[in-house]
Amino acid sequence: MMSQQIDKGLTIMDFFSRIRRMISGQERVVGAIDILAPVSGKIVDLEQVPDAVFADKIVGDGIAIQPEGRYLVAPISGKIGKMFDTHHAFSIESPQGVELFVHFGIGTIELRGNGFTGLVNSGDTVEAGQPIIEFDLDYLKQQQLCLLTPVVVANMEDFKGINKYSGRVKANKDVIFSINTQAK
Amino acid sequence: MTNSHQQQVTIHSEYGLHTRPAAQFVKLAKQFTADINISAEQQTVNAKSLFKLQTLGLAKESQITISAQGDDALKAVESLVNFINQLED
Repeated sequence: MMSQQIDKGLTIMDFFSRIRRMISGQERVVGAIDILAPVSGKIVDLEQVPDAVFADKIVGDGIAIQPEGRYLVAPISGKIGKMFDTHHAFSIESPQGVELFVHFGIGTIELRGNGFTGLVNSGDTVEAGQPIIEFDLDYLKQQQLCLLTPVVVANMEDFKGINKYSGRVKANKDVIFSINTQAK
Repeated sequence: MTNSHQQQVTIHSEYGLHTRPAAQFVKLAKQFTADINISAEQQTVNAKSLFKLQTLGLAKESQITISAQGDDALKAVESLVNFINQLED
């Protein structure tokens, strides 16, 4: 986990953004926002996802996970931007303005919702770790589709950088990447 | 003087403007300097934000209005309308 000093070298701007975050109920006032694994499994480079809009980072920058288990959970607290009608993907925006996309598998839109159960709706406010989509992994594995699940930041232009982690992760326990929020 | 254009277009592709085409649409929109907005059912969002665009939930037969303001507004609207018309899946 990253830890950063917040009591040294505070500028006026830092001070005001700290007050603003305190008022809006956000406790962490560090230069990085940790994004938790929305699903358990092994982290894979985005470049290995067999869909150019993810591999070439057109949707955004991040990582992919070879999914295990039964639930996709919120990787951060925030508001659901879009729960897709076919329940294979969702987007979420955190109060700090991080726009994340979680997309289960490639080509899974063609399943028209089979194998997925949506547990929340577009516009819902959710807590990190809250189940968002339930999936039937046995069924999905039979569909001849790539199940690599990209988790990407759609608005990296608003942030300074991203630090990615690797290895096996557990949903809602391990950090998959940290977003550097310091001004460019 | 501000250069402004808009055009209406209907999405005919089977899965609407889902993630892959939406990402390509946003990438194309970002190639223009004009401010570009997409309107559908009384909602208007920035065409250069994939996140905002997805909130419109654009499905097959959705009718959208693409509007642009800026030096390359006409070219932007023409290119994006063309992109929507050529979508296949």
